[in-house]
Amino acid sequence: MASTACFVIVSKNDIPIYEAEVGIVPKKEDAAHQHQFILHAALDIVQDLAWTTSAMFLKAIDRFNDLVVSVYVTAVIHARLMLLHDSRNDDGIKSFFQEVHELYIKTLMNPLYLPGSRITSSHFDTKVRALARKYL
Amino acid sequence: MANLLAQFQSIKSSCDRLVIAVEDVNDLWPNLKKEFEERFPFKSVFLNNKTRNPVPVDELPADFILTTDARLRSRFPQEQLLFWFREPYATIVLVTCEDLDEFKTILKPRLKLIVQNEEREWFIVFVSKAPAHNDQATKMAKKVYAKLEVDFSSKKRERCCKLDMHGPDSNFWEDLEAKIMECIRNTLDRRIQFYEEEIRKLSEQRFMPVWNFCNFFILKESLAFMFEIAHLHEDALREYDELELCYSETVNMAGRLRDFGGMERGDDQATLLDPGKKALTQIVQDDSFREFEFRQYLFACQAKLLFKLSRPFEVAARGYSFIISFSKALALHESTLPFCMREVWVITACLALIDATASHYKDGLAAPDMEKEFYRVQGELFTLCRTKFLRLAYLIGYGSSIERSPVNSASLSMLPWPKPTVWPSLPPDASTEVLAKEKMILQESPRPKHFGIQRKPLPLEPSVLLREANRRRATLSAGNLFELLDGRPNAIDGSVQMSPLPKVNAMSMSRTYSSPGNFDGSIDRPMRLAEIYVSSEHALQNTISDVNLWKSLSSVKEFEQKYLDLSKGAANNYHSSWWKRHGVVLDGEIAAVYLKHEKYDLAAKLYEKVCALYAGEGWENLLSEVLPNLAECQKILSDQAGYLSSCVRLLSLDKGLFLTKERQAFQSEVVRLAHSEMERPVPLDVSSLITFSGNPGPPLELCDGDPGILSVTVWSGFPDDITLESLSLTLTATNNTDEGSKQIKSSDATMLKPGRNTIILSLPPQKPGLYVLGVLTGQIGQLRFRSHSFSKGGPADTDDFMSYEKPTRPILKVSKPRSLVDLAAAVSSALLINEPQWVGIIVRPINYSLRGAVLHIDTGPGLRIEKHGIEIQKLATVSPNAANSDTPQSSEKDGSPVADEVKQLTLIDGRIELVEWASNITSVLWIPVRAISDELPKGTPAGAVVSQRQSVVDGLRTIALKLEFGVSHNQIFEKTIAVHFTDPFHVSTCVSDKCNDGTMLLQVILQSQVKASLTVYDAWLDLQDGFVHAGKGDGRPTSNFFPLIVSPKSKAGILFSICLGNTLVKDEIKELRPDSILNIRYGISGCRTLGAHSPVAEEPIAADDDSQRLTFRSALVLQQPVLNPCLAVGFLPLPSSGLRVGQLMTMKWRVERLKDLEENMASQNHDKVLYEVIANYENWMIAGRKRGYVALSTKQGSRVEITILCLPLVAGYVRPPQLGLPEVDEANISCNPPGPHLICFVQMV
Repeated sequence: MASTACFVIVSKNDIPIYEAEVGIVPKKEDAAHQHQFILHAALDIVQDLAWTTSAMFLKAIDRFNDLVVSVYVTAVIHARLMLLHDSRNDDGIKSFFQEVHELYIKTLMNPLYLPGSRITSSHFDTKVRALARKYL
Repeated sequence: MANLLAQFQSIKSSCDRLVIAVEDVNDLWPNLKKEFEERFPFKSVFLNNKTRNPVPVDELPADFILTTDARLRSRFPQEQLLFWFREPYATIVLVTCEDLDEFKTILKPRLKLIVQNEEREWFIVFVSKAPAHNDQATKMAKKVYAKLEVDFSSKKRERCCKLDMHGPDSNFWEDLEAKIMECIRNTLDRRIQFYEEEIRKLSEQRFMPVWNFCNFFILKESLAFMFEIAHLHEDALREYDELELCYSETVNMAGRLRDFGGMERGDDQATLLDPGKKALTQIVQDDSFREFEFRQYLFACQAKLLFKLSRPFEVAARGYSFIISFSKALALHESTLPFCMREVWVITACLALIDATASHYKDGLAAPDMEKEFYRVQGELFTLCRTKFLRLAYLIGYGSSIERSPVNSASLSMLPWPKPTVWPSLPPDASTEVLAKEKMILQESPRPKHFGIQRKPLPLEPSVLLREANRRRATLSAGNLFELLDGRPNAIDGSVQMSPLPKVNAMSMSRTYSSPGNFDGSIDRPMRLAEIYVSSEHALQNTISDVNLWKSLSSVKEFEQKYLDLSKGAANNYHSSWWKRHGVVLDGEIAAVYLKHEKYDLAAKLYEKVCALYAGEGWENLLSEVLPNLAECQKILSDQAGYLSSCVRLLSLDKGLFLTKERQAFQSEVVRLAHSEMERPVPLDVSSLITFSGNPGPPLELCDGDPGILSVTVWSGFPDDITLESLSLTLTATNNTDEGSKQIKSSDATMLKPGRNTIILSLPPQKPGLYVLGVLTGQIGQLRFRSHSFSKGGPADTDDFMSYEKPTRPILKVSKPRSLVDLAAAVSSALLINEPQWVGIIVRPINYSLRGAVLHIDTGPGLRIEKHGIEIQKLATVSPNAANSDTPQSSEKDGSPVADEVKQLTLIDGRIELVEWASNITSVLWIPVRAISDELPKGTPAGAVVSQRQSVVDGLRTIALKLEFGVSHNQIFEKTIAVHFTDPFHVSTCVSDKCNDGTMLLQVILQSQVKASLTVYDAWLDLQDGFVHAGKGDGRPTSNFFPLIVSPKSKAGILFSICLGNTLVKDEIKELRPDSILNIRYGISGCRTLGAHSPVAEEPIAADDDSQRLTFRSALVLQQPVLNPCLAVGFLPLPSSGLRVGQLMTMKWRVERLKDLEENMASQNHDKVLYEVIANYENWMIAGRKRGYVALSTKQGSRVEITILCLPLVAGYVRPPQLGLPEVDEANISCNPPGPHLICFVQMV
């Protein structure tokens, strides 16, 4: 499992709608800003890359010293699942993204969930963390 | 090898063009040189590349060199082969000859000798000197040239061309150029083949021990160089790429440890764009080159070619990845390199690359996409340079000048420290510098953040520098570390837990360890921070050879300037690229510098950009870093609106991002500004902070014109209670957009608690429609705020939600105007006139409460409200079938008010307040009224035409009602009710029998007019003058028949026996009425819900009480018998031919005086009679005098005829006109009105 991993879902409007620190190292207070900064800056790169490939999993698109940003772009609503991590387990990350994508779609199908708003479901959160433990 | 290399270098530098040799056989060159050289450079030619594909070359420069020139002579054959690229690519043999013999004997053998060398590509230029006018010479020259062609040209190849020095030369130069190019092409092909072969041979050996990279390099670069001078840059570039690949494959082969290089003074300055910076001979090591220099050399060569190819963007892109990979290589050798060599090299490399590419780049050089990419790479280069620069600055103690922003922290805290084998030690005479640094450390204090925000500063260091530096010192063992850090375990952990406050640590440490005069002997004890700074500074000074770079690090001011330049460069380039976010983030860094230097306006502008980005994309963590800075700038610039809006945005950020105390500080700033400093009201959008929604459930429903009370939920994001001076909301009609929105106000100051508040607003009457909430506005002091955002009903943190379509749930529904109440008369049948009667008014609310309603009652003329109390009672609902049925039983049962609740009401100033229980149910209001009529009802002769309508109109009275109701009596319902009053009886009379004794039986027919049963108790007749009761009695009918009950609408008859006679003395006659009066004492038993009923009494009275009995008086006109009247009117019979419509006819009446008019008519005009023709004008048209006097003698028996022309208008039985005598009492006229006549309709033929 990755020691540091920050997972964010960014909506179509570039708004983060779900954030979670899923690494095993407990979250540092100051790390949040850094991670957010790195992920936010990586949106620039996603924007460039997303249209050059038909694959949803864009792999590692940005590297910040030891930390790597992997991105998965969903097809229809253009949500971006972004993971900042320090491990090199590409297959695991891909599986993680695919499963989270599935979860996200289920969330979207919830009639009470307004697409584009923040995901506050604790169920979703628990599932994502479980997936992170499993794959990362 | 080294000498070959040196030779190679010198050849390369001396030769930069293709060489074309000129064999000048006949000394023609000096004359022709100028013209020949004017041909250069060749334009638009094709050359073959390595794969034999033709490649267009725009310009190909070349040199003509005579074969006798020193440059082409004195070469050793083996050199020639190795450096073949410098040999001539074509040989031009210049000859002239004017004689065939001469040609054969001298020139031809000589030429044969010259061209026998097969290696060369040659051709012959025959120069004809023959002047144009000299035919002989021209002919000869032609002959010679023909001979020449025969001898030297072959079918495969033309090797001759002719230049007429004095003649036209139209084709010559093209021919020459083509031939030269052909030669060059051939030579080039051959040489490429040769080099290829050689290179192939060598590269096959590259993994063998005999491998010598230098040889390979010379061959490869020769080929590349040949391409370059042939302007085949693309191919040259490919050769260099292959060379690089081969080098990287072989350079670090196992067992061959070489020097890396980079140890020389000046090596810190990157030479990645200058291939000639260092001679290759200097970097040779064994059989290869030093990596440090050689890789830069290769890149420089590539860059040079790319610039020649006008591809600066590719230089930048390749350069960036080169710098990254080279930096990694430097990191591997960091221990041997000078201190921070890597960082310095990267800085200089980036700067050099940026300068070179930017200067070569012109706008529009590349496609837009490429251009964006170019700017992005430029930005990346700047960023990289900036990061390394920051690292150096931190090492020499400028850390406090570096903004601890996320971007800096992210860049630096994950970037490892430089790893020299041994950390530089303190130079011996540096005590003053150490003191100065120490002072600097002590003086620096972190700039307090605005609003007193206490934020753990982000780290700029991967681990504590103090620890890292001391660990790397040779003399210090790891065990001393605990001692160094006061034995605090968490501080030891600093590599993981980035030290939050290194400066504090440093200060505490310096206190622990500093004792004056203890600077010497620092070898044995750990270095202090100041010492580390000083030693780093000295080491860096040794490393950095670039004066400008060192100057940038020499003082804080210079550092900041450079820092600003780099940040600006990066930001500007990012802005030109797709990576706007990177650019904006760096804008934030620039702003931080401006803020520090108190250039607040510039800082504010940039911060606004950054905040807009973060806010727009909802990255609140990042926003919370910069927004306080923006607020500070705005405050100092006294941009109150901006400052307030920043405060509000700070407040509306996620609550977890700031402490409660800080949030309270934001609020107090808002309140303070709102109440004190502002002169003018400032508008402010607080949509993110104060949200509102209607209450859940169905919308409030109001009737048109009604005010109401609207309850709205307002969510306050303020951490504390906040008092609003006013609060108002707009309502927007969903169906009508023209109207705009209406504002409703909360009357008094409102206190908003944090979180959910319920606000009650009074709502003035609205137009019909559906309304949704629009905007919430309010005022805090001078601050006018408005909020557009609806909350979903959840907590106010749903700012994501704001970007979405707002659910327009109606909050208020005002229905269209409809009748809310109905007032109607309870009874349609007539009431008794001149008696106090109950008028029932049904008050029927139609789904609307009449609570507190007031009824104004205004009676019309002839109607008076009695003083009695007004009663109200509930009306039972009338079932539909009951309404249809008109049987008295059913109406009695269903329609009658249920008398269970009767309430007395009082009328004050014509108003009554309705009782509460009646507000929702239909009730009946009983009002006691009396209709007043002074007229005495008149009896009519039986059979006479009585206009029923007239009597109905006479009995009609109106009551104007006005009901004020609704919440604030805003609803008004007005209605005028007609009430019908009537006499109990209609009286008609006829003389039923005329007896022989002079008495007459007068039949009085009573017809009941009311819907109640009347009981006649008594009846008597006061006779008029001229009549007396027969017999002794007073004219009362036999009392045995009484009481006589008259059912509704039925008739009863009473017979009176009267006779003519005058009982009164003459004096009294005048006082008496001319009419007889019928008096009837009767009682009524009716129900007020049906119609007439017994009069309203002040107090309840027993039914059989005498006073209950009412008296009805009616005037009767009794006519005296025929003989008695003075005048008789007779209608003369009409002609027998009959009456026809539209046919004029004469009508005649005869008036005859029956009696002498004597004394009692003294005053009148005795000999004249006034007549009047009364006709129904619908039936008749009258011509002639309808009214007038006719002379009639006063003598008895005198008569006169009155004639009138009439025209019947309708067919049928029509009563003819009557003649009346208005001045004569009816009783004095004997007249039998004629019956109806038949009028026919004449068909016109």
